[in-house]
Amino acid sequence: MQERERIYVLSCFVENKPGVLARIVGLISGRGYNIQTLNVGPTEDGTVSRMKIGVLGTEKVVNQIILQLRNCVNVMEVVCRRGR
Amino acid sequence: MRRAAREQSSGGRTGAKALVESLERAGAQILFGYPGGNVIDIFNLLPASKMKFVLGRHEQGCVHMADGYARATGRPGVALVTSGPGATNAITGLGTANMDGIPLVLVSGQVPLSEIGTDAFQEADMSGICRAVTKHSFLVKSADEIPETVAEAFYIATHGKPGAVVIDLPRNVQREICLAQYPERISLRAYHPECPVPPGSAAALAGLVNRARRPVIYAGGGVIASGASADLKALAEKAQIPVATSLMGVGAFDTRDPLSLGMAGVYGTKAANAAIASADLVLALGVRFNDRMTAAFPPERGVKTVHVDCDASSIEKNVPVSLGIVADIKDVLTTISSRVKPARHDEWLRRLAALARRSPARRGTKGIAPADVVRSVAAAVGGDAIVVTDVGQHQMFAAREFPHSCPRRFISSGGMGTMGFGIPAAIGAALAMPGEKVVALVGDGGAQMTAEELKVAADERLGIVFVVFNNSSLGMIRQMQERYFVGNFTNPDFMALARAYGLRGVRVEKAADLDRAMARAVRAKGPVLVEVKVDRDARA
Repeated sequence: MQERERIYVLSCFVENKPGVLARIVGLISGRGYNIQTLNVGPTEDGTVSRMKIGVLGTEKVVNQIILQLRNCVNVMEVVCRRGR
Repeated sequence: MRRAAREQSSGGRTGAKALVESLERAGAQILFGYPGGNVIDIFNLLPASKMKFVLGRHEQGCVHMADGYARATGRPGVALVTSGPGATNAITGLGTANMDGIPLVLVSGQVPLSEIGTDAFQEADMSGICRAVTKHSFLVKSADEIPETVAEAFYIATHGKPGAVVIDLPRNVQREICLAQYPERISLRAYHPECPVPPGSAAALAGLVNRARRPVIYAGGGVIASGASADLKALAEKAQIPVATSLMGVGAFDTRDPLSLGMAGVYGTKAANAAIASADLVLALGVRFNDRMTAAFPPERGVKTVHVDCDASSIEKNVPVSLGIVADIKDVLTTISSRVKPARHDEWLRRLAALARRSPARRGTKGIAPADVVRSVAAAVGGDAIVVTDVGQHQMFAAREFPHSCPRRFISSGGMGTMGFGIPAAIGAALAMPGEKVVALVGDGGAQMTAEELKVAADERLGIVFVVFNNSSLGMIRQMQERYFVGNFTNPDFMALARAYGLRGVRVEKAADLDRAMARAVRAKGPVLVEVKVDRDARA
């Protein structure tokens, strides 16, 4: 049974340091998944950035991505919202 | 002038000096490395350091040595390489350690900050290249960051699921003055790998164990990393649960124990695979359910699987589970020990014991059986040695046939399956554990990938026995291709090779000579290379 692919929007709070964006993007693309949308900006606390990543995948795969993002040394929090 | 005076009075020293001090402070005892233009300032300080420096012959070998040291001791291995090709050569070693959850810190030189991005001589974007094969990496931009970065690198390498961490250090930063001191405490803002046993999970787990009629424990490298072997033994014996291991879990449970089923998976024992396939409860501890394991089983087994691991992302990654517990294995086993009731599973154990007796002995007819070489090694060392393997058929024979009894005494590249790992990892293990017998079992393929490191064994006068299984082919590949091995695989004269590197060489061509030759090699003081002509048709 093939699980349905949907767009999931991952909202990540990360340390605002060089290389963090590359690490996160690499983690997703390294698993063979395409990032549909990506938005990065600082939060009120300039040392923390927020990333909104739209990724197309099955629930199982996106859950894996979330858990792996949480393992990232620079990632503080990951919240997921399901889209279309 | 005034600045220099202030630096003097407030403990200022160069970044290179701060690095060496910080590595010592972090507990590094041996530094494996290879020099180059962008790490010269660090190398100049090594003769005066408390750390022993071991010069490898290739950066991949240096990192595998540090890896072997880490696997044998449980402490992080440390390596130092130069920028550009030094750094890229280290990549395979980093991936090998990282995939098996081995703590390792690599310091790589980098071109000066002002030259980064200019395609300078020996420049490589190490942070970019190593990203996919490490747990974390740092690019240090000022000397004052060095002590804290080293402390954080060791913390990250050893906490949570252990892994490889890179510190990329530009040359100008090594020459700057560092005023910062080594931090007394480390607090990482975003990384909190502590995972206490979730409330209620211990009771749920103990309940499942107490109700199970055909339970089996499937133990992996996480049991060894967590130092939980004694707790595992206590649980298995109290509730009479048989224990299978993954390749990385070999040594987590004494294979001479009647409850031991040996290794599970594609190359595992019949008893271990049958137990996991027909159990009503699989208690998986610190395993990843990697494809070498799951391929031995149908995907839907209708079995209750409980998975305990400190890495949340490994649970339900490859197999569905009925209970997943993200926690340290030792903590979980300690917590459930009083709740698990003594039990007997006599009929279940009898059934598995019958299978164990009918162990497969797939052997060819020509030449010495590789399994017999492992048995001969075991007899020569009295079952007591650190066994290091390379990757291939011999690795599976070594995992199955040696009487492994303790953790950290079977050292093998599991996840990455890196040919060329055996020789340098054995050197790292031997340097880590002086006085212990180390036997490196390597195939004729892998032996040629890192043969240059044999010189290190000779220079350091390490009493390692390197056993080369010579079947004149890449056996595992040949086995997969079933009939034809495409390509001309030819071997050098291993006796001449041993001589060239300053090792004693012994060639064994007849089964009758095997035991005597092995016993003599094990008694020898320095390194010995034993080449055994094994049956080309044997299968793992």
